[in-house]
Amino acid sequence: MTLVAVCVGAVGLALALSFALTGRDSRSTWPQAAPYLGGGEAQTHAWQRFHFRAYTMTLVFIAFEMEMMFMYPWAVVFVHEGLKAMAEMGMFLAILSIGILYGWREGVFRWQ
Amino acid sequence: MIWLLLTVPVTLAVGVWLAATFDRLAPALWGARAGGPVAALRDGALLLRRQTVRTEAPDDLNRRLAPVVYLALAAIGLSVVPVTHAAPIESPVGIVIWGSCEALTIIAVFLHGWSPNAPFPLIGAYRYAAIALPVMLPSMFVLIAAALPAESLSVTAIVESQREVWNVVRQPLGLALFLLVGLTLTQRGPFDFADGADIAGGTSAEDSGAGRALWQLARLAMLTAFSAMAAALFLGGPLGPGLPGPVWLWLKTAAIMALTVLLGHGIARTTPGRMLTLLWIVALPVSFLHLAVSGGLALW
Amino acid sequence: MSLLDRLAGRAPVPVFACIGPGMQAVTEHALLSPRLRRAASPREAAVLLRAGAIPERAAAAFGRVHDQLPHPRAVLRWDGQGDPADVITDAWVDLLNGADSDTDRRSDEPPNPWEGKGDHGQGGEGMMGGVPYGRPMAMTGDDIRDGLQLDAYTATVGPFAPMLPPGLTLEITLQGDVIISTSVTAPPFPQGDEASAPHLCAARLLRLLGLNAAAARVARGSSPRALWTRGAIPAGLGEAAKGEDVRARLSAWLAGQAGPYQAPRIGSMLPGLEWHEAMLVLNSYAPDALHRACAEEEEAA
Repeated sequence: MTLVAVCVGAVGLALALSFALTGRDSRSTWPQAAPYLGGGEAQTHAWQRFHFRAYTMTLVFIAFEMEMMFMYPWAVVFVHEGLKAMAEMGMFLAILSIGILYGWREGVFRWQ
Repeated sequence: MIWLLLTVPVTLAVGVWLAATFDRLAPALWGARAGGPVAALRDGALLLRRQTVRTEAPDDLNRRLAPVVYLALAAIGLSVVPVTHAAPIESPVGIVIWGSCEALTIIAVFLHGWSPNAPFPLIGAYRYAAIALPVMLPSMFVLIAAALPAESLSVTAIVESQREVWNVVRQPLGLALFLLVGLTLTQRGPFDFADGADIAGGTSAEDSGAGRALWQLARLAMLTAFSAMAAALFLGGPLGPGLPGPVWLWLKTAAIMALTVLLGHGIARTTPGRMLTLLWIVALPVSFLHLAVSGGLALW
Repeated sequence: MSLLDRLAGRAPVPVFACIGPGMQAVTEHALLSPRLRRAASPREAAVLLRAGAIPERAAAAFGRVHDQLPHPRAVLRWDGQGDPADVITDAWVDLLNGADSDTDRRSDEPPNPWEGKGDHGQGGEGMMGGVPYGRPMAMTGDDIRDGLQLDAYTATVGPFAPMLPPGLTLEITLQGDVIISTSVTAPPFPQGDEASAPHLCAARLLRLLGLNAAAARVARGSSPRALWTRGAIPAGLGEAAKGEDVRARLSAWLAGQAGPYQAPRIGSMLPGLEWHEAMLVLNSYAPDALHRACAEEEEAA
C-alpha cells in the first residue's frame, strides 16, 4: 500500500517539477533544432534499425536474470538449510560458469 | 509514518546539493580547480535562465518522461532505506524493490538518449544499455549476499544483522562491487558510457536549459539514493552510538557519496567493447566468489 | 536583478569554441580559466567563441553551430590576444540584463522540402521513401564486423566537432556505433607547432578517457593524477608498427616527447573501429601530423 502511494507520489511530484521547469517550451527554429554534428549535416533521421553491437551478450544475460529469481527465495532460507543450500547453488552457478566460458570462447562478450 | 515519508524529499534535496558540491570539490584532489558550496546553485541558476531547445522531430513524451522516471526511481529506491528502526516503505522484499529501481534506470537513461532523435545521444543510449545490463548481475549478487546473514530480503533486517559487525568488514568485496553499480546508475567516471566526451556529451549532447538542469538533478538524486542504500547495506545504516539514527544514516550516506564522486573523477573510462568483456569475464566471476565467501561466512 | 539572475551571473560561463587556423593552443589554454566552462556541445553553451579567422569553406558550418545555441546567446570574436574570460563574462551578464540574443544565421526552413502528405505526414508514399519532418529515414547497408545488414547512418561531422581536430570534416557512415567508411571532406586547419605540444596532445586523449580534471592539470604542464590512464586504452589499438599503439603514444606524450610526425591516411585509419576506439586512434596523432597526412592525400589524388 505504502509502496503504491510512494510510487504514485514520486512520479507525480517529479512530473510537476518537470512541468514547472520546462512547461513553457518555446518553439525552436529549424536550424536551431538540427541535430548537433559539430557543424556537419545528417542525411537521415538518427532513429534507425540500430546495429546494437552487444546483442549476443543479451541472450546470456537473460539466462542470468532468470537465475536471480531463484536466488531471492534461496537467500532467505540459506542459513536455515545450511550446506545443502550452499551445495545446490554452487552446482547451479558452476553450470552457468561453463556457459560463460563457452560464450567467451565463442566471442559472445565482444563488441560484434 | 508521515514524517518518515517526509525524510525522502528532504534527504533528496540536501543530497542533490551535497553531491553537486562534491562534484565541484573533487577535481581539486585530482589536480584541477575546485568550486565552493554556492557553485552548484550558480550553475543551476544559469541553466534555468536559458531556453530548452526542442530538437528536430523528437519523441516529446519520452523526452519529458525520462528525467521524471529517473527522479522517481531515485525517490522510490531511497524510500526502502531505513531511516531509524523502520523505512518509509517497510517491505519484506526491500532489496527486490531497490533492484527493480536499478534495472528501470537503464530504461530511463536509454529513453533520454533516444528521445532527441540525434546521432550522438542515440549512440550513448545504446552504449549505456550494453554496459549497464551486465552491471546488473554483480548488483544482484551483492544484494543477495547482503541478505544471507540477515535471512531476509528486508533492508531493515539487513541493517539489524549488522548490529555486531558491519557488512563492510564481513563483505568488503561487496562494497567494491556495489560502488561499480553506483557509478553505472549515476553515469559517472569509468562507467559513464552514456555521456562520453568522444560523442560530445552523449545522451546529454542535445540537452539545454531547464531540461538539462532536471536531468542533472535526477542523476544527483540517484547518487543520493544509491549512497543511502550502500550505507544501509554495508555501513549499518542508522546504527551507531550517541547520535540519533537519521544523523548516522546521513553521515554514512555523505561518506559513500564522497567516495563515489572521488572515484568517478579519477578513474579512466575504457572503450565500451573492452568494458563489456571485462564485466563478464572479471566482474561476474568476482561476484560468484563474493557470494561463495559471504555464504561461507554466514554459515560459519 | 532577481536572485536567480544574480546567481546565474556568477556561474562560470559555458563556452563553445569554434577554433580557426593557428588558434587551437591558445584557445585550449583560455578555456582552462576558472571563470569559463568548456561546453561539450553548443546546446550547453551560452557564448560561442569565434577564435581566429574562420575560413570561407567553414562559414556555413559555423552558421549551423551558431544557430544551435539556446537563447539567450552571444557570439564573440577573439584574435588570441589577452584573456577572453572578461569579455565573455561581460557578454553573459549583459544577456541576463536583457541584451538582445543573437538571431539565427540560417533561414528557418526544414533541411528538405516537406509537404506533410501521407498517413503520418511523411511526405511520400507508403512507409519508406518519404521525407518525414524534412529528412528521409536510414536504409540498410553492408556491415564489416558481423555482416548483419542493418541501417547505415551517413553524416558529415565537423569542422567544429570537439572530438576531431578543428577544421577536419569527415563524411562518416556508421552501422550502429562502428565506422563503416570515412572520407575527408575538408582537412584540419593548420595549427602550428604549439597545438602539437606533447602536453596538449596528452590532455586531449585524457579528456576522451573521461579524465577532465587530469586533462586540465596536464594542459597546465603538470603530470596527471588519475588511475588506470594507460590501462584503459586497449593494448594494440591503432598499432602503426610493433609496439607503436595509442597507449605507447600517450605514454610518450606524458613523458614529454613530441611526435609521431607521420599519421596514416584517415580514410584507412578509422573504418572497422567502434566510435570511441576511432576517436582515440585519431587523437593519438598530433594535429600537424593529421594536417600533413590529409595534405599528402590530397596531393596524391
